[in-house]
Amino acid sequence: MPEDVTLTDQAGKPWRLSDQLDAAAMVVFLRGDW
Amino acid sequence: MRHQQFLGAGVRTFAISVDSPERNAAMVAKLSLPFPFLSDSDRSLAIRPFGVADEKDERHIARPAVVVVTPRNEEVFRFVSRDFADRIPEDELLGTIQQLKLPPTSQHPPEPGAEEPGPRSLSPSNLKIYFRGARFAAQAMGLRHAHYAEEIKTDSKAYVAEMDRFTDALDWLRDNNDRQPTT
Repeated sequence: MPEDVTLTDQAGKPWRLSDQLDAAAMVVFLRGDW
Repeated sequence: MRHQQFLGAGVRTFAISVDSPERNAAMVAKLSLPFPFLSDSDRSLAIRPFGVADEKDERHIARPAVVVVTPRNEEVFRFVSRDFADRIPEDELLGTIQQLKLPPTSQHPPEPGAEEPGPRSLSPSNLKIYFRGARFAAQAMGLRHAHYAEEIKTDSKAYVAEMDRFTDALDWLRDNNDRQPTT
């Protein structure tokens, strides 16, 4: 598992996993590219 | 639809796919998703680091997967599908998370973005037709080939149940969301 993850959200803003971890996170991977 | 129950069980939901932020924004709007939808277009930021890339698919898109991470950045649950049609039943997932005894939490709704649906994007009503077709196909294949292995029957039933959940979710959206288009 990575130490941290930085991605772009649906609004085009940066999103970092470590910023969310004041609670547990359920990361759901979807296949996409339909 | 079950989002509040997952928050009650102590987890915030975040979705990740290879699609662009614009496509993800369209998906969030179409399905009224109550959680952020994140983009990993080149697969190197989350999909490969989490070990969920589908190496059998030439696009190396993510297999459907769920990973639960604690505030200590410890992975406490992982489900990775066998293929694109395989999902963990929602009840099983919720029950497993409830057993972790995490404190309840909350989550801000996702910020809207510039929506740009993909070229093969289906409207909610067409999605319902798609799910019904997939359901009947899975049911037929299960009945036709059940004598070969018990697993075929089990998988067919699980897939039929999954399609029913998706259809129920679309009906719920139609009945509960003024933003939801009717076509």
